[in-house]
Amino acid sequence: MAEVHLIGQIVGASGFPRSSLFCKWGIHTGGAWKLLSGLREGQTQVDHPQLDDVAYWSHPIDVHFATKGLQGWPKLHVQVWHQDPFGRRELYGYGVCHVPCSPGWHALACVTWQPLGSWQERLSQLFVGGGPQLLNSDLIYTGADRYRLQTTAAGTVHLELGVVLRHFARYGVEC
Amino acid sequence: MAAAAAAPAPAPTVFLLMVNGQIESARFPEFDDLYCKYCFVYGPDWAPTTGLEEGISQITSKNRDAQQALVWNFPIDITFKSTNPSGWPQIVVSVYGPDLFGNDVVRGYGAVHVPFIPGSHRRTIPMFVPESTSKLQKITSWLMGRHPEFTDPKVVAQGEGREVTTVRSQGFVTIAFNVVTKDMKKLGYDVSPSDMQNPSIVSLTDGIHNH
Repeated sequence: MAEVHLIGQIVGASGFPRSSLFCKWGIHTGGAWKLLSGLREGQTQVDHPQLDDVAYWSHPIDVHFATKGLQGWPKLHVQVWHQDPFGRRELYGYGVCHVPCSPGWHALACVTWQPLGSWQERLSQLFVGGGPQLLNSDLIYTGADRYRLQTTAAGTVHLELGVVLRHFARYGVEC
Repeated sequence: MAAAAAAPAPAPTVFLLMVNGQIESARFPEFDDLYCKYCFVYGPDWAPTTGLEEGISQITSKNRDAQQALVWNFPIDITFKSTNPSGWPQIVVSVYGPDLFGNDVVRGYGAVHVPFIPGSHRRTIPMFVPESTSKLQKITSWLMGRHPEFTDPKVVAQGEGREVTTVRSQGFVTIAFNVVTKDMKKLGYDVSPSDMQNPSIVSLTDGIHNH
């Protein structure tokens, strides 16, 4: 069985309207992949940055997969949430990004989007906060039913991911 | 006449990671007179063989010129052995300094994985402090000089339990690493794109016997 190690961190996020943000992340893989060690999902801390407008999380990722096939290569999906001083949480963006297929250290910028509601919902979001959210979070990382959605652009999540591959050449895989 | 064949070298079961470098400098616009502590956090398959796992640096102040850099130039030197890249070592840096009343207070925690590609690398990591969520607690801690801090800085290197913490990021630390690995290719690990051009092809039968 070939093995893949993902060693890196979710560095932070930029480009969002407010900065007290946290991120829920997960790694989705196909049926041929088995998680050997590490956490495949988690939630970062909430950051209030003093210096820039970038929220820094430095959330470590250390995951070890074994696989029998190339289908279902791991995808990392993120949900960026905002926490206000009263402790209420509001969704700021969804994003997905494939884990790079070549070994080495990669700096990734994952773009995110936010579902857009009707004009009444947008008006109340302006005053009270809280917009529409996806009922089924599978839509973040599959493309199947996306045509039903209308969305608007949100900020970017920055990741640094290192990929270590084992035994891929033995099976003739070029990457 | 045939020369005695050299016995084939036994297949390695561990690989080594040697890291040296320095904690170069920091950038904290609001604070001065800082020192840092570092320690390494690694998984259960890892063990340090030589070198220092922890250290405390000198206290440094900002230069009076416009540069405003806090320079430590604090050397790091450690070698690990392991059977598995899971739990790859991370360096956890904690920065401390005096507050208005002279108490020693934490100014930032940060962590980064030691790079796994052999060569020279430089990483600039953001530093954050835990923050209390109530305003009264913030005023009290400022008056008493007892700010929230982590009981064990190694918590910064883990992903679990973070969802309940609120932090404030307020500075950056730059660390330079030089990394050398031994026997990672022999064990079948490819760590950089050039490795895939000369991949670690262990013959299929050897691989099966090793497992």
